[in-house]
Amino acid sequence: MQEATFLILTALADGSQHGYGIIAEVQQISGGRVRLRAGTLYTALDRLRADGLTEVDREEIVDGRLRRYYRLTPAGTRRLAAEAARLQVNARAALARLKPSGVVP
Amino acid sequence: MTGPSRLERGYRRVLACYPKAFRRDSEEEILAVLLAAAREGQRRAGLAESVDLIKGAVRMHLGMSRAPRPVRNAARLMCLGAVLTLADAGTVMLTLGGVRSAAVQDIDFAGGQWHIFVLAVIVPALASTPVVAGVWLWLAWAIGRGYARARFALKVFFSLLTAGWLIELAMGGGRGATPVTWPDLLATTALWLVGLVALLLVFSQAASPYYQQEPAHQ
Repeated sequence: MQEATFLILTALADGSQHGYGIIAEVQQISGGRVRLRAGTLYTALDRLRADGLTEVDREEIVDGRLRRYYRLTPAGTRRLAAEAARLQVNARAALARLKPSGVVP
Repeated sequence: MTGPSRLERGYRRVLACYPKAFRRDSEEEILAVLLAAAREGQRRAGLAESVDLIKGAVRMHLGMSRAPRPVRNAARLMCLGAVLTLADAGTVMLTLGGVRSAAVQDIDFAGGQWHIFVLAVIVPALASTPVVAGVWLWLAWAIGRGYARARFALKVFFSLLTAGWLIELAMGGGRGATPVTWPDLLATTALWLVGLVALLLVFSQAASPYYQQEPAHQ
């Protein structure tokens, strides 16, 4: 799973978000490192919807403009959990092996 | 004219690159996001933002976003097939000297026979390269868009690939009736494998429902 996809799913893990909300959440989750652009976001959202990992939660009109909220589907939640667990195992292994070098505490 | 409306018009021009169906569904929504993300006082669509949008539009036109994962991977493989086809033609041209030596030494090709072989086999093979690469790319596009007939076309194309591969195998690395070098054989085998995996992906259980619905983004 690409990092942007992982971060988008993570942004939706604790509740639905609209497009700009996802961009802001992803920026915050990544500590400012990843700033999604609209084209990338909507290509990813389109794909995630096609894969059945996200779905539209609701739509609102704010200041005369459409605001669509997205949420994780049960399949999306399972996929994110599996990916997070996989990354955690890999990160633990890397940190354990780096410990003797003194680079990590 | 005020700043925001000029910015909006700029973004709308870029968003016009997207497929109609996607624009109907999502243009206003994306526009709202773009305007919300714009800097204070920004009057023009940013270059990086525009490039990102155009990249997204290209992906949507290729039908690469809504297709299930196996279909997307198959379409990527078919693009690789186009690249390998061109590389294969390059290999033939680069190894032409080796092929001639093999022909003359191993199977006693006379000068005239070599010329006939070049005219009958090598020239048509090289001339058809752009067409074959084009077929790979067309299949990638049509398969990605979900056209059911493209699956049938892929079957036919793969049958032809298999026939070509078997013929080349029978020629066997310069030891048969006509000369084929190992690099040629490897390149053809690689192409056949690409076709095989693409075919398996397109006809997989996960991909099949995609071809039972209306093609995406028409």
